[in-house]
Order: sequence, then structure tokens, then C-alpha cells
Amino acid sequence: MTLAIRQVTKTFGQHRVLDALDLDVQQGELLCLLGRNGAGKTTLLKILAGLLKPEAGSIWLDDRVVNYSESNARHAIGLVMHQPFLYEHLTGIENLRFYARIYQKPEDDAALEKALIRVGMQRFGGKPVRAYSRGMKQRLTIARALLHNPRVLLLDEPYTGLDLQGSLLFNQLMLEQKQQGHIVIMTTHDLSHALPISSRFAFLARGRVVEDLTNGDLSLAYLEDWLAGRLAKPALEQQKEGA
Amino acid sequence: MSSENKKLKILSYVVFFMVLGAFAMVLFYAPIEQNMGIVQKVFFFHVSAAWIGMLAFLVAAVCGILYLTKKRMIFDPIAFSAVEIGLLFTAIANFSGMIWAKPIWNTWWTWDPRLTTMTIMAFTYIGYLLLRRGVDNPEKRARFGAVYAIIGFASVPLTFFSSRLLRTIHPTIFGGDTGDMAMTSAMYQTMAAGIVAFTVLFAALLWHRSILAAREMEIDALRAQTETLEFGEVQDD
Amino acid sequence: MKDWLHSVRTLVWKDLLQEWRSKDMLTAMFAFAILTLFIFNYAMELSPINRAEIAAGIIWVVVVFAGTLGLNRSFTAEQDQGCFDALVMAVPDVSAIYFGKMLTNWLVMLFVSVLIVPIYSLLYNQSLFNAGFLLVLVLGAWCYSAAGTLIAGMTVQTRMRDLLLPILLFPILMPVNMAVVKSASGILTAAPFEDVQAWLVLLAAYGIIVTTVSIMVFEYVIRE
Repeated sequence: MTLAIRQVTKTFGQHRVLDALDLDVQQGELLCLLGRNGAGKTTLLKILAGLLKPEAGSIWLDDRVVNYSESNARHAIGLVMHQPFLYEHLTGIENLRFYARIYQKPEDDAALEKALIRVGMQRFGGKPVRAYSRGMKQRLTIARALLHNPRVLLLDEPYTGLDLQGSLLFNQLMLEQKQQGHIVIMTTHDLSHALPISSRFAFLARGRVVEDLTNGDLSLAYLEDWLAGRLAKPALEQQKEGA
Repeated sequence: MSSENKKLKILSYVVFFMVLGAFAMVLFYAPIEQNMGIVQKVFFFHVSAAWIGMLAFLVAAVCGILYLTKKRMIFDPIAFSAVEIGLLFTAIANFSGMIWAKPIWNTWWTWDPRLTTMTIMAFTYIGYLLLRRGVDNPEKRARFGAVYAIIGFASVPLTFFSSRLLRTIHPTIFGGDTGDMAMTSAMYQTMAAGIVAFTVLFAALLWHRSILAAREMEIDALRAQTETLEFGEVQDD
Repeated sequence: MKDWLHSVRTLVWKDLLQEWRSKDMLTAMFAFAILTLFIFNYAMELSPINRAEIAAGIIWVVVVFAGTLGLNRSFTAEQDQGCFDALVMAVPDVSAIYFGKMLTNWLVMLFVSVLIVPIYSLLYNQSLFNAGFLLVLVLGAWCYSAAGTLIAGMTVQTRMRDLLLPILLFPILMPVNMAVVKSASGILTAAPFEDVQAWLVLLAAYGIIVTTVSIMVFEYVIRE
């Protein structure tokens, strides 16, 4: 399974956020998207999720163009964004039940309990989400995203709100996703946690992938230097380098 | 001067003379109506203005549909201008309606279905403008404007029929009718001239206002761009 | 189609459960409704004959204002927690989201009506338990919900939110207001059926037209 992003262009008003962007991700890979704020990382994730339509370009999965108007295509994708997508007055388990039901996945108590256990939330399933801390909401929304077993998982700053234990749990879940042959694309600023699980690092600038670093035993220091260096260069120069 | 601007300039002159001509017809060509006297002449402007109010709404709704289907930004300033102008003409229509009604039926307001529908339409216009005010994102603003223009326009015939139904069931409560007026052919001609002149006036105003609105939006977009500097970020060219 | 119905049912279940849990919307609407009924009593000294004519208007005013409260609240959860995105990815078609919300709002308005009608009958000693009258309320609530859901979907995303909804909604709802009050009072005062019939037809036409238009344009309200 390959996810291929071909020549994707997205403009907001006068501002071209993504410029004929090309990117491939193989099955079992976790791609970490890096870049300045406003570089287009979130926009790219939204396009991959089918929430935004690019002016040009297409997304391919398994050598076929993804048709986002088809449920099947959209059900293959899971999304975690900054906002939790949770209903405050319902309990954790009811939120999961809602999503399970709408994706037509098993909604019996046993299945939902399992989902809660995966993110370490089994003790809090019966409490309303209103009462959850930020970290708890983040754990629950990750469980929600994984509920329908998507083949492509998109995550925008997934470590936000997670404590150390939560981050390690998350990493464990991501390793499982890789082992199952799923594709994970994630944006983050938390390099120390992203390093052990990322297969590749892609740096986005001026609407394109300017550098692609494969993680063959990189050290954190090297990665941080690399990133700091990239961020410090004016974007135009970066684009010339990457072209 | 570019050819677009030149055309607009010519149109503006043409319109000026047309409106002047129509005005002259109203004052001098159309006879004084026997039942209502000279105040009846307000009627010509009332009808033309009301027609423009409706036309403007139609233009806004059509632009709305075009924007949603074609996604071209140009339709948004046109729709917005149409609504603004339409609101103005609807106000003129209502006001002239009241001026006409008071001396004849001794009431400021008649629950005439057309008048009622026009007034409700005016409120819809105002709602449209307020809705746009409340949205910062230009793309969202255009989208919401389009949706509201469409649903607003769809409700106009329904409002008209309800008002008319209200009237037929309770005829005694309301004021008189245009049936009281005796219309000669000269009056019909004047009315037609007025409608034509006002329509061309509307086209010219719409053109002017749309250009202005489009420029305003461009300026806002540029301003927004210069304002989105991140902390520590160097502004690239 | 089956999927579509299933997702609509799921959305309605979720919304009703949310509302039942939070209870603020229902209690606010209900309190508001009772208060309005009492104020009408003080405002209008009505002989039994006049009451029959006015009852429809009073009930509808109460239902409309309470309904506006409900509409304002119906989208806040989705908006504040960003749930629109998640729903768009999950449902077979965006129209399911519209329909789910519309049905929920309609049911909530019916719920308020069901509570108000007996209370009114009690307070004013006038039975409103009339099948025709209730049918008008059901139809009126549908029309109200059809237009209101579309508009509320937009206003919840604006800066003025709750304030903007009545301004945008009431001009569009004028035909419904006229039709409901006229047909309902016609039924209660046993007016000739031809009079009432025209209003019912208008109400039905409004419902069909507005629901259809809304289903077509709703996707532009929540998707970029």
C-alpha cells in the first residue's frame, strides 16, 4: 500500500500554502512532518483527510485516486487534530459508542472497553468528557481515531496534553500501527518523542517538501541541529535547495 | 483609460440622461390622475424602485449559486453590491409607498402583500449584510452570503403568497388597491420608461459598486497577509 | 440509503442524549415558555371567545422563541469541539448531518409543545387537545426546524452567534408564522375548512421547498 501525494496545490486568497507538493509514504511507515508554523502541515493533513479540496493535484492510495465522496475512502482514514472531536456531556464510553455506531463497527461494551484499555482510560470511561483533563481527552480522542481501524492515520500534534506515560503509550500504539502495515503521518514539535517511532522526517517550506530525512539511527542532537538549521534559513533559499 | 473603465463611463452618462428623461416624462408627459391627484406620480418611482429591489435580490441569489458551483471569487462582490443597492431601492420603494398611501388612504401602512413582502425582503437584506459583518474569513463570508441569498430568495415567493392569502381572507382590515387608479396609455409608457431607466441605472450602479467592493476585498487580503507574521519569522520577499 | 438512514438515526440519538444529559437547553426553553404564558395572561384580559382566536398565536410565539433558544444551542457542541470535521469524515453524505440536526431540533420543539399545550389548557381553562391544531404545530415545527437548522449552522460560526440567529431567521420564517397562526386559530375557532386548507398547503409547500434547498446548500455551510 502506498499513499502518493501528487502535485497538490492549495491557495487561501492570495496566499499559496501548498505548491505542487509531491510526497510518497509506504505502508508501515511513520512520516513526521516538520516545518514552521503556517508552512502548510495542517493544511496538508486536512487535504489528506478530505476536509479541504486542493486546487490542483491528487491523492493516490494503492495506485488509485482517492475519491473522498465515497464513504469507503473516508473510512480508511483516521484523524486527530488539535480539537478533540468529543461530546462534553456524554461519557467517554458513550463517545466511543457514537463513533463506533456511525462507522458501523462493533459497539458492544466489550469492544469499547478494549478501546479504552488501549489508551489507559478504562477507569474513566463512565465519566462525562466534561470532567476530563486535557491529557485524558487527548487519550480518548486517539482511541476514537483508532476505533474504526483506519489504514491511514493522520495526527496533528498528537503529544499535546499527554504526560510522559501518555506519550510512551502513544508511541507504543504507533509502533503497533506500523507493524500492522498502516500508514501514519504526524506533525509535531516534540522531537524527543517522535524520534524513536518515525521512519522519516519531511521538512515543509514554501508549500513543498524541501528535505526528506530517513531515520536510520539518527541521534536526537543531530535531528535538533538539522531542524534548527532548516528553520533558521529563509524559506526561499530552502526551496531553491530542495528543488 | 482602460476599455472597461471607458465602457462604464459611457454607460454612466447614458444612465444619467435616461433617468433624467424618465423623470421628465413623469413630470410633464404623464397626465395627472383623476382620483388621486398629483401625488399619484410618486407611484412611478415606487414601482420602478420596487422592481429593482426584486431584481437585485435575484442577482444576489444567482451570484450565490454561481459562487457555490464555480467557486470563483468574482461573484461575491457582485452579490454583495447587489444586496446593498437592492436595500437602498427597497427603502425607496417603501418610503415612496408610504408617501403615496398617506394622502390617499389616510394611513402610512397598508398591509398590501407587495409592500409587506418588500419590507420583509429589506430585513433579509439587512440580515445578509450583518451576516457578512460577522465573518472574518473572506472565503467563509462569500460562502455564507451565497447560502443566505439563496434561502432568502427562495422564501420571497412564499412570503408573497402568505401575505396575499392573509389579505384575501380579511379584506376589510386593509387599505385600498391600485385598482383605484385609472391608468391611461401615457401612464403605462411613463411607467415602462421608468422601469427601463431604473434597470439600466441598477446595472451601472452594480458595476461601479462591484469594482469598488472587489478592490476593497483585495486590500483586505493584502493587509491580512502582511499581518500574519509569526514570532521570529523573517518576512520572505 | 440504508447507511444514510443509519447515520441520521445515530446522529439524532447522540444529540438527544447530549441534550438530556446537559438539561440546560430543555430547562431554559421550558422555563421561558412558562414565563411567557404567564406574561400573556397579565398582558391580555381575554374573554373566552377572544381566547380561542388568540390561543394559536400565543402558543406559537412561545414555541418559536423557545425554539430559537434550542437552535442556538444545537450547534455549539459541534462548533466548539470541532466535531464537524469528524462527522464529515464519518457520514455517507453531509446531508445526513443536516437531517440529523433538523430532526433533533424538530423533536425538541415538539417536546416543548407537548409540555406547553396541557399547561396552557390548564391555566386558561381552554382545551387545545385538537388533532388539527396539533398537526399544525407539528408541521410548523418542521418548517421552523428546516430553516432554522440551516441558518443556525451558519450563525454559530460567526462572531455574534446567538444574537444573529433571530435577525436572520425571522424574515425567512414569516410565511410559517402567518400560516401556523392563521390555520391553527382557524381550526380552534371552527372556521370553514377552505380557509384553513390554503394555509396548510402553504405550510406544506414551505416545508418541502426549504428542506430541499437546505439539503442542497448545507454542505457549503460546514465544508470549505
